[in-house]
Amino acid sequence: MAERQSPERLSPLEPVFHPGSHGNFEHGVDVILTETRPGSILQLAAWPGAEKQLIDAIRKVTGLALPDGAGGGVAGDGKAVFGFAPGKFTVVDEAEGLASAFSKAVTPAIGTVTDLSHGRTAIRIAGPKAEWVLAKFFAIDFALPAFPIGAGRSTTHHDIFAQIQRTGADQFDIYVFRSFARSFWKALCHASEEVGYEVQ
Amino acid sequence: MSPRRIETGGRIDRLRTIRFTFDGTPYTGHAGDTLASALLANGVTLFGRSFKYHRPRGLLSAGVEEPNALVTVLRGEVREPNIAATMVEIYDGLVAVSQNRFPSLAWDVNAINQLGGKLLSAGFYYKTFMGPVFGPLKGTRFWMFCEHFIRRAAGLGKAGIAADTSRYERMNAFCDVLVVGSGPAGLSAAKTAADQGARVILAELDPRFGGSANWSGETIDGAPAADWAARTVSQLEGHDTVRLLPRTTVWGYYDGNTLAALERVTDHKEVPGKGEPRHRYWAIRAKTVVLATGSFERPLVFPGNDRPGVMLAHAAERYANDYGVLPGDRIALFTNNDSAYRSALALKKAGAAIVAIVDVRPEPSSEMRSLATEAEAEILSGHAVVATEGGKALSGLKVQRFDMNSGLLSGDARSIHADCLLMSGGWSPTIHLASQAGARAEWNPARQAFLPPKPTQQRWIGAGAFNGSFSTVEAITEGRGAGLSSAGGASAPAALPDVEAAPGDPNPAPVFEIKAKGKSFVDFQHDVTAEDVRLAHREGFVSVEHLKRYTTLGMATDQGKNSNVPGLAIMAEALGKPIPEVGTTRFRPPYSAVSIGSLAAERFGDLKPERLTPMHDWHLANGATMYSAGLWFRPMIYGLAGETIEQAYVREAKATRESAGIVDVSTLGKIAVQGPDAAEFLDRVYTNMFSTLAVGKARYGLMLREDGLAFDDGTTWRLGEQDFLMTTTTANAGKVMQHLEYFLDVIWPELKVHVTSVTDEWAGAAIGGPKARAILAACVTGTAVDNTTLPFMGIVHGQIAGVPVMICRLSFSGEMAFEVYSGAGYGTHVWEALIEAGKPFGLVTYGLEALGTMRIEKGHVTGAEIDGRTTARDLHLDWMLSKKKPFIGSAMMDREGLIAPDRLQLVGLVSLDNLPLNGGAHIVAELDETNPHDSLGHITACCYSPALGKHIALALVEGGKARHGTRAFVSDPLRKRFGPVEIVSNHFYDPDGSRMHG
Amino acid sequence: MLITCPYCGPRDVIEFTYQGDGNRERPQPNSQDLDAWNAYVYDRLNPAGDHNEIWQHSGGCRTHLRMVRNTVTHEISSTGFARGDHNAVARHKEGGKS
Repeated sequence: MAERQSPERLSPLEPVFHPGSHGNFEHGVDVILTETRPGSILQLAAWPGAEKQLIDAIRKVTGLALPDGAGGGVAGDGKAVFGFAPGKFTVVDEAEGLASAFSKAVTPAIGTVTDLSHGRTAIRIAGPKAEWVLAKFFAIDFALPAFPIGAGRSTTHHDIFAQIQRTGADQFDIYVFRSFARSFWKALCHASEEVGYEVQ
Repeated sequence: MSPRRIETGGRIDRLRTIRFTFDGTPYTGHAGDTLASALLANGVTLFGRSFKYHRPRGLLSAGVEEPNALVTVLRGEVREPNIAATMVEIYDGLVAVSQNRFPSLAWDVNAINQLGGKLLSAGFYYKTFMGPVFGPLKGTRFWMFCEHFIRRAAGLGKAGIAADTSRYERMNAFCDVLVVGSGPAGLSAAKTAADQGARVILAELDPRFGGSANWSGETIDGAPAADWAARTVSQLEGHDTVRLLPRTTVWGYYDGNTLAALERVTDHKEVPGKGEPRHRYWAIRAKTVVLATGSFERPLVFPGNDRPGVMLAHAAERYANDYGVLPGDRIALFTNNDSAYRSALALKKAGAAIVAIVDVRPEPSSEMRSLATEAEAEILSGHAVVATEGGKALSGLKVQRFDMNSGLLSGDARSIHADCLLMSGGWSPTIHLASQAGARAEWNPARQAFLPPKPTQQRWIGAGAFNGSFSTVEAITEGRGAGLSSAGGASAPAALPDVEAAPGDPNPAPVFEIKAKGKSFVDFQHDVTAEDVRLAHREGFVSVEHLKRYTTLGMATDQGKNSNVPGLAIMAEALGKPIPEVGTTRFRPPYSAVSIGSLAAERFGDLKPERLTPMHDWHLANGATMYSAGLWFRPMIYGLAGETIEQAYVREAKATRESAGIVDVSTLGKIAVQGPDAAEFLDRVYTNMFSTLAVGKARYGLMLREDGLAFDDGTTWRLGEQDFLMTTTTANAGKVMQHLEYFLDVIWPELKVHVTSVTDEWAGAAIGGPKARAILAACVTGTAVDNTTLPFMGIVHGQIAGVPVMICRLSFSGEMAFEVYSGAGYGTHVWEALIEAGKPFGLVTYGLEALGTMRIEKGHVTGAEIDGRTTARDLHLDWMLSKKKPFIGSAMMDREGLIAPDRLQLVGLVSLDNLPLNGGAHIVAELDETNPHDSLGHITACCYSPALGKHIALALVEGGKARHGTRAFVSDPLRKRFGPVEIVSNHFYDPDGSRMHG
Repeated sequence: MLITCPYCGPRDVIEFTYQGDGNRERPQPNSQDLDAWNAYVYDRLNPAGDHNEIWQHSGGCRTHLRMVRNTVTHEISSTGFARGDHNAVARHKEGGKS
């Protein structure tokens, strides 16, 4: 049997991912839904007291400088990072292989690296009604002053755990467990029908 | 033009005609009408039949407090009962029907109940429940006999049985200031807070903002109050930080300033927009709440006060000024306060004749006298209404001289011809939400009303009539103050608008009831009369809470809106105590009816989350019948055409034992346990040692709970010195994770360990059977899979079809078996490669049924046996209890009760009559089919074993091990399955494990 | 009910899991004092008033919190991380008000 090299990863959304306009789009498309499919999604976690060293390591590897404070984050240049728990960060890169880069930078004295590149599915919602649609799912405040650009939040919609990063004034990247991703996507589409949505 | 529609005035759009039906009769109304106003305009007076007595009832009110005009709205097959006609906005094609009548609203056979008034008095149900103490109908049998008739005769609307296809949604909202109510006080508060830069939500239960400003006829800044309201609303619309929610009832006030509201998004539309929900349930977290909920006008309690045509005074004013409908041509008013005089004048201006103002007070003020003169109305001061006349509509009333201090009537009754009687018994602030928020209301003797308490835990501010400040100028002033302080604002707000002061004293006379012959209703909805309240008192139900429950006063949709204060006043009089000593009931959510659909919101149908493995679509495409295990979906069998479930799993299990089988095990819980103290941590949470495990090896582990009972089992793989991959049972993955997190966070914070759920990171395929190794050898590159490289419990890394995989040799089926893990995104890719490689070897896919069958044959335990009541010893896992170290549960596991010899222990059962066994069936020593007793234990799992050719089961049986080789019986009276079994070891198949060790 | 997570800020109670009485003290792992173990595993205070409780922000950052909650009024008078060494990264000050 001939071996295929570097096969493409299968998206859990595949059978329910229908590009095009849907719902009440005749009155305009108010949100755009897409799957960003980053190559790497990592969880980095520092031992208490080693948070600053971990933040330094993140800057060295990704070039992203984390702002101070709980839930702080920054996104840009195909990469993103945000805090989601004390001493814990999610780091995302368009490219694969981020785990091996961090396995050297994050020494056992600093903390741990856990590769979740397959285990989390990244869904992006953008548009003027993004906050409105997300408010149907999550009991957190999506208004810009309460949830600034770059910041991250950990929250739950019923059984679906989600990490959310605001990556623009009206754009959010949502990381959900892969096994729930299809269900969540369907619910997201359903909730977006009212405002008209486009899948890209 | 309809008989009662006025030529001009109101906010209805006379150019837009809307057609609807009520009880099958077609009617027309106008845009802006409610069902109540449209029917009233058409001359309809009869809207419903009362709860117990089936008395004819008309409109009492114009708003949410309506107790009588409850209707059922039909949308296709879907029926929604008990909707106040005053809250239904008409649309083309609306179909509404009346309730609680048979055969028709006009001719109702149960109206005969009116003659049996004594029988249906307060506590009727309680008395009936008790029944006679002897005889054929003793005790509750009497109730059961009567129930059929009562259920049919009493009650409100009938619930439908057709599935509601409407969409419901939940919304989460956050704001600085939530303003409840958009009358002058609410608008003023919202505007002021918004001007201070606060995030504001303004919720109004009516379709239009403005509240009383829309119909009071007052003047603000030299223009109609409605114009001021409209202008304020458009200013609010200009703020980005303001959300306006019309048709939204705030119905619950919960801890942490969390409020629940129901927005009726499309009930008023003929056809909802695409994707639009019918109702939206708003969960609003507000830093501060401004309660500007206004007040309710109270009915007066006098004989015949429920006759159609008797209405609250302000309601009539509202029908005239808001909807352009006159509820009568010849209107009489009956009042204990000044507000009715303003209503009289408003109705006169709208075109009605005011035939009399009956005032219980001896000396109305000169201001009121001049209002009456302007209304061309005769004042009958020191008088009271003692009777009403008419059938389905009012024809007249009787008045008598009344002494307000003694409550006595005197002189001859005088008849007055009128087709509408308006009553005003004073005003009660709508304090429901404040009461829900936790504090007790305070009685104000001047206002003769319960005023809102001071806020305690919750952060709210009251404004306007809610505070008992009934004038518009007070409402606007207080609203501005509330808006300013709720927004934390300091900057000077805009000047107050100039409000024309309405004349009148806000304080009513303390008169609630006119005692005369005939039924005087306190709670119209439940047919509770003043006499019922007194009866409850005579029977000892003197606490207000008991009074409410015994008489049903103020229950259901009323929630005390109309009946609360009059009922308390009558009880207070009966007790000879002042009202504040009697107290009031605490209001609870919901303030008004809430659709169940809105509470369920998005959680229905296929929108409950489903967890799918990476190979889910492959399973579906290849004939799997799926089974839901918790939220997960897993293949149960891959049935061939014509196969039964049993035939399929027997074939799958047999083929696995004969050649090879493959099963999706991606659902197993997987937790990354990482850090320098990971091995130490695992030694503490597992009963056996993990610090001694070599890198590249796996070990089976058992966890106990703190109380010493078994908790979960699974294998844990050591991937690196400080890097473990723990697997848990599918069902317990979440619980185990929380257990680990708890110990790391709360008990042992000094341990440097991180735990992360990686269940979804890995796709898992377990491939087992005599040919399993050969199949792997045919497709795995980058590593050997022979016995030396990959011994039992060994781990290797390699590739399959270009994808990195991790393979651990371990067995659940009892065969030589391997778990192949790959990144979830490659799961299907690897799975398909394994299937392809297995073709020459006769590899089959198998599902949960075959998996279960093979584990029963091997006697492995799962959640059915680790059921929270069994110990490691009960399950013959005591060999795993390390004596070299303490672990979670080690201190408690040896308690007397947990090591007793007669505990339920795991055994195997073989059916001796060759019939299937049932899960849950009891095991008994001696069979007694007619009187099953003395259970020795029960079956936890059962199957037909293809390896043994027998029906077998696992069971938990008292002193199980000592019974090996003995005979017992299954006793399953519910399924009528009785029969002999042999008790054997749980290790049915290959007990020495030679097959899996190879 | 809202609970102020020291990391995430005020969140709805639906995101939290009650993890028991915060007054319990676990005996040393190798302690053979069955009475102490019994008290730890089974004994619970059940006051009408302020109560020390442990909650996990299971639908959020998943840390465990120690809080004082009034069982009569539901008022939460203080919240903080169960792990003292996390308090350095708290953004929401102890005291339950944000």
